[in-house]
Amino acid sequence: MANRTIRVDYIARVEGESSLELHIRNGAVDAVRLSIFEPPRFFEALLRGRGFEEVLDIVARICGICPIAYQMSGVHAIEDALGIEVDPPIRALRRLFYCGEWIQSHSLHIAMLHAPDFFGYPDAIAMARDHGPAVERALALKKTGNELIRLLGGREIHPINARIGGFYRVPSRAELAPVAEALKHAHHQAIDTLRWAAGFPFPGCVRDYEFVALRHPDEYPMNEGRIVSSAGLDIAVADYETEFIERQVPHSTALHSAMKQRGAYLVGPMARYALNRDRLPAEIRALADDVGLEPVCRNPFRSILVRALEVVYACDEALRLIGAYEPPEGPFVRPEPRAAVGYACTEAPRGILYHRYRLDHDGTILDASLVPPTAQNQGVIEEDLREVADGALALKDDALQARCEQSIRNHDPCISCAAHFLKLQVHRA
Amino acid sequence: MRGSDRPLVLVVGIGNPDRGDDGVGPVIVRRLKGRVPADVRILECSGDALTLLDEWEGFASVILVDAVAPIGRPGRVHRVDLAKNPLPLAFSPRSTHALGLAEAIELARCLGRLPRFIAAYLVEGEQFETGASLSPVVANAVDDGVAAIITDIPAAWEAWRDHA
Repeated sequence: MANRTIRVDYIARVEGESSLELHIRNGAVDAVRLSIFEPPRFFEALLRGRGFEEVLDIVARICGICPIAYQMSGVHAIEDALGIEVDPPIRALRRLFYCGEWIQSHSLHIAMLHAPDFFGYPDAIAMARDHGPAVERALALKKTGNELIRLLGGREIHPINARIGGFYRVPSRAELAPVAEALKHAHHQAIDTLRWAAGFPFPGCVRDYEFVALRHPDEYPMNEGRIVSSAGLDIAVADYETEFIERQVPHSTALHSAMKQRGAYLVGPMARYALNRDRLPAEIRALADDVGLEPVCRNPFRSILVRALEVVYACDEALRLIGAYEPPEGPFVRPEPRAAVGYACTEAPRGILYHRYRLDHDGTILDASLVPPTAQNQGVIEEDLREVADGALALKDDALQARCEQSIRNHDPCISCAAHFLKLQVHRA
Repeated sequence: MRGSDRPLVLVVGIGNPDRGDDGVGPVIVRRLKGRVPADVRILECSGDALTLLDEWEGFASVILVDAVAPIGRPGRVHRVDLAKNPLPLAFSPRSTHALGLAEAIELARCLGRLPRFIAAYLVEGEQFETGASLSPVVANAVDDGVAAIITDIPAAWEAWRDHA
């Protein structure tokens, strides 16, 4: 077979700017390269010298799709450093906040970014002509998620209401009532979306991932837990950097993460679900069974089903949290600065998001480390590409390119988030 | 009010006021306040273009005001009838970041959620620097944009009346 090169200069329907190169030599995949050329944004350096109370407003700017994930990992890490314990209602509100982000982010990806791949549409606009009700459902779900975020965060993009120790302002029960009504509708819309996605034609693919996710004693993980893996890893969040490493690669402005012992690993919905299915309510597990979602899903093309299931769960969990909500005595615990290091990991829609901050005695940030899920998944995305392409070499170039792009979108990569981490060295003679 | 308690025409200023000429949409719609009838609702939008589909729900007439990259003469104001035409390619850079204004408009068209009357006033910007204010040439165009929109309001209202 002749040598072939598939090159996609701008991968569409992902957050951020990246390109793909696939080299096929003598009928076999010779090289795969997912290049991230989004300009580096230096957020870790930007945080140095800032006060700890500025962290949440700064890190919220990292991503317009998942700012709550950044705020939650940031708030938990700083509170870990300062030894702050928040009241149960504050904890519940943070989980509710996260439900809003899962609902809006997953719904956007499912219908607007990923679903067109399964039908061969170039984009969601073309798909909307034939699948209008599904797109309308996604827009309605996204709106409900945004309403939750606006209520708790003050606004849906780069929210401003979270603060170290709690929130600047907490909602009353009456303020939560309208969004609860919207969530009841959203529950049904989410189930319809899951059933719609369950009917998609899924390319065959089985990958032997090492799944990595948080694990909590009682809950499906969002804000806290230990870091566990399908290969037996079970560590405290503070030990993240002893097990995981970030590497610079020449073709990317984002660092690649790897496990020191075993290399590439997968974070995100497939990993969360595989490692925490037993933490889902029985009715959610029954729904998964009903649509044929296996307890451990290793076909990345079926990740859309896990996302859709998590949207149903997030709607139900948000309703449960609102039903049980009693406003706290005060909206926040006042933080007292001290010299310390704090760690946190939370479950962003795309997977675990690790933050570490070292604070000076007056609360100044001395250094910060932020490891987003897409940086962690880059290794797996390239491995997926190699395997998917190897199994699809009989396809013509256009179809092979489409399959490869779909393979990348399986993991909902947020390139903008991942590209914060280029280390710049200046050598002067 | 013309016999209704609800605003009939929506004018949306799109853009980030902290990004130089990108803020011209919000600047123009702020200048409209008090100079257009009470049944015109003024709104600013600096984020997700998809939310526009919800914002204009129930309005038969919508006017959008946005900055665009320069195509020859910064400060020039273009009017596009979006009910008849998509956003011209020159004004609709395809972003890999979620969905932009052009995509939101076409999605609405496919879903039958485009208002009957929808016009866009597009101001060619000169610079879009973080933290910058409007460049002089774009600031000078604000009055022209305001006047053009005020002139367009009766047509927008007529479109609503024809629909009603």
